[in-house]
Amino acid sequence: MYGGGNTFEGIKTDSLSQEDPVKLAAFEARIARGEKIEPTDWMPQLYRKQLIRMIEQHAHSEIIGALPEGTWITRAPGFKRKMALMAKVQDEVGHAQLLYSAAETLGKSREQMIDDLINGKSKYSNVFNYPTFTWADCCFISWLVDAGAIVNQLANAKGSYGPYCRALERICAEESFHLKYGHHCVIYLASGTAKQRQMFQEALNRWWPPMMHFFGPSDKISAHTEVLMRWKVKMGTNDEMRNQFLDMYVPKIWELGFTIPDPNLKKNTETGKWEYTEPDWEEFKRVINGNGPCNKERLEVRRVAEARGRWVREALKSPKAAYVTPLA
Amino acid sequence: MNSLDPRVSRLPQIQEPVSLKAPLDQFGTFEVFVQPKEGKPFQHEGIVHAPDIELAWVLAKETFTRRFTCTSLYVADTRDVYVSPLTEGESNAYDPIPETRESGIKKTYEIYHLAKRGRQHVHAGTVQAATPQHAMTEAKLQFNTGKTVYNVWAIANDAIRFTTPEEKELWLTLSEKKFRDASDYKGGDKLKEFLERKLIS
Amino acid sequence: MNNLALKELLYKMADDQLILGHRNSEWTGFGPLLEEDIAFSSMAQDKVGQSLALYTLLQTLGESDPDTIAFTRNASRFHNCILVELPNQEYDFSLIRHFLFDTAEALRFEALTNSAYEPLAQLARKIRGELRYHTLHANTWMKQLGSATEESITRLQKSLEAAFPYALGIFETSPYEAELIDQKIFAGEAALKEKWLARIESVIHQTQLQLPDWKTLTPVYGGREGKHSEHLQPLLDEMSEVFRIDPTAEW
Ligand SMILES: [Fe+2]
Ligand SMILES: [Fe+2]
Ligand SMILES: [Fe+2]
Repeated sequence: MYGGGNTFEGIKTDSLSQEDPVKLAAFEARIARGEKIEPTDWMPQLYRKQLIRMIEQHAHSEIIGALPEGTWITRAPGFKRKMALMAKVQDEVGHAQLLYSAAETLGKSREQMIDDLINGKSKYSNVFNYPTFTWADCCFISWLVDAGAIVNQLANAKGSYGPYCRALERICAEESFHLKYGHHCVIYLASGTAKQRQMFQEALNRWWPPMMHFFGPSDKISAHTEVLMRWKVKMGTNDEMRNQFLDMYVPKIWELGFTIPDPNLKKNTETGKWEYTEPDWEEFKRVINGNGPCNKERLEVRRVAEARGRWVREALKSPKAAYVTPLA
Repeated sequence: MNSLDPRVSRLPQIQEPVSLKAPLDQFGTFEVFVQPKEGKPFQHEGIVHAPDIELAWVLAKETFTRRFTCTSLYVADTRDVYVSPLTEGESNAYDPIPETRESGIKKTYEIYHLAKRGRQHVHAGTVQAATPQHAMTEAKLQFNTGKTVYNVWAIANDAIRFTTPEEKELWLTLSEKKFRDASDYKGGDKLKEFLERKLIS
Repeated sequence: MNNLALKELLYKMADDQLILGHRNSEWTGFGPLLEEDIAFSSMAQDKVGQSLALYTLLQTLGESDPDTIAFTRNASRFHNCILVELPNQEYDFSLIRHFLFDTAEALRFEALTNSAYEPLAQLARKIRGELRYHTLHANTWMKQLGSATEESITRLQKSLEAAFPYALGIFETSPYEAELIDQKIFAGEAALKEKWLARIESVIHQTQLQLPDWKTLTPVYGGREGKHSEHLQPLLDEMSEVFRIDPTAEW
């Protein structure tokens, strides 16, 4: 699970002038040919830095993303839902494991990344800083937040860094279960009792604004990312991703007879683009910067989990198992 | 912690500060190789962090083979994987490997190829060799078909935790765990019935 | 075949698997190591899946459907041993419980592969790989943490002592013990307990832990006849919170 916003801050390209121009040209040519970059290849510092940041944020989003749905893991109604939700949240933890490993190949240790997360030094998707009040919120995430994540992940799987692409390939294969499961849950709420329908409508009302934020600020106000696009680090603009999501899922939400809480939402038949009320980007910034409804709890839970697990890790630490950078 | 998540509400209060530990005091990494089907080659899938190879194998089993299909799995310490340089374009990773002859006690090495950048390393076969360098030479003699290979790995057999024959039963029920599979969540009928109901009312 | 005896056996087994699977799922997202988080969740899923298979057998014997059985009974109608309903506490306790319980579980199912009640024998044969993994996982962790640092050894020892009287409660006998043995449905709790002790001891011996002097301990019984600790009812209330909004609805 993962959203835009990762490239929200502008990047400085000054360091590029210090790179070896011959190596840089060969590197860019390789990407242009559609060949993947592997860990032992030469790469510009900026590429390494941006990739670590992006993959790390993606990994954090998975491990933190396990929490809002995990809120309902002990309360899922009936065997089918109980087992599915357990497996689904487990997958998200697994995604974090895969993504941290991919980032590790670039030279940052997993523990350092986790420390940076807990200390508030690195970010994760803003969407997970919202609470899941009812079972229906949990269903919203399983279906639609995962759907949004899949839009991003499928695009990123075509990126230039080999280990990240391999991790994403596996992740995308697992996500198809999440998406189907989530839709299944929502279909059952939609076709169920009045109470069940109402539960989902309320969840939709709560989650629509964070869902629109999910893909990151609109292109008009986002930082320039041309070089990241050329290097196939960023694979599409925030608005393109958002539009793709709306295209695929708004009709499915309407089909179930729910109302999306945005009176201006409609597809412009001429441009093929969706029109909507501009999301509140000030709110987005507030949440990304740590002041959303659940930021504190999410980080505190991770901190406590780390602290509780420390005796296990310390007990088994040995020079024999010293850390090295993984291979691929 | 007062939370909407009953599990979180039950967590103990822990005051200790986070960043008291030295950097890099984490476990080592182990490379994980999986055979998806009987008769298919093993392929590299990723890594696990673990304190030793036995626990690495145990943890790799659920990290990498709880979904899809699997018939066997093995792990090796990252430091026990001998790696050739990585090539690009038309150049073959086998080309720069010198043809060294070596005497001494031979052991078995597993050889892996990277056939395309961005893909996983796939098992090419085993060779008998005295040293990892020698294993590379033997691999070049036996597995270099001229088709470009971008990277070659050699891992000594005795550095690997394999799946024992009795452990093959670990994956017996894997194909029955449909609750982890998209195909178990067909909502089509329910949806159709709902849409028809909606149409009538 | 005595249906009451068989049902009693199936209920206690199913309830054990469900409640411990539920408890273990509380660790998801909070584990001591990402990889262990994943492994522990898988085993929790296995357990809930096994309970579902057992409740499904009960349904063929005339009981209600699995969801109704699992999500609408009160604590006094659950037959799990008290060990499985205790809160998770720290990872040392969860691990010790996992080791003690899963060793018994694996031996129980192993015995059942020859059960005269064929559907149960089939199930036992089918899930043997899952159980093999659970005990391999438990034994590997036990051997490592049980011989690592002073802290890890002390923690495990303390949890082992706390859990042991409850673990002995796994083997609380049923009123139908003799019939089950006679009819070759199940070899009985006494025989199981003996094998279990031997197995537990052999693993503990490979660590720096001390096996509690079990002969002097009073087993905590009651779970098998519906007399539970104060922890079970809140667990069930939580588990069925959504289901009970409308038990006739489809979720
Ligand atoms: Fe995910
Ligand atoms: Fe997700
Ligand atoms: Fe997902």
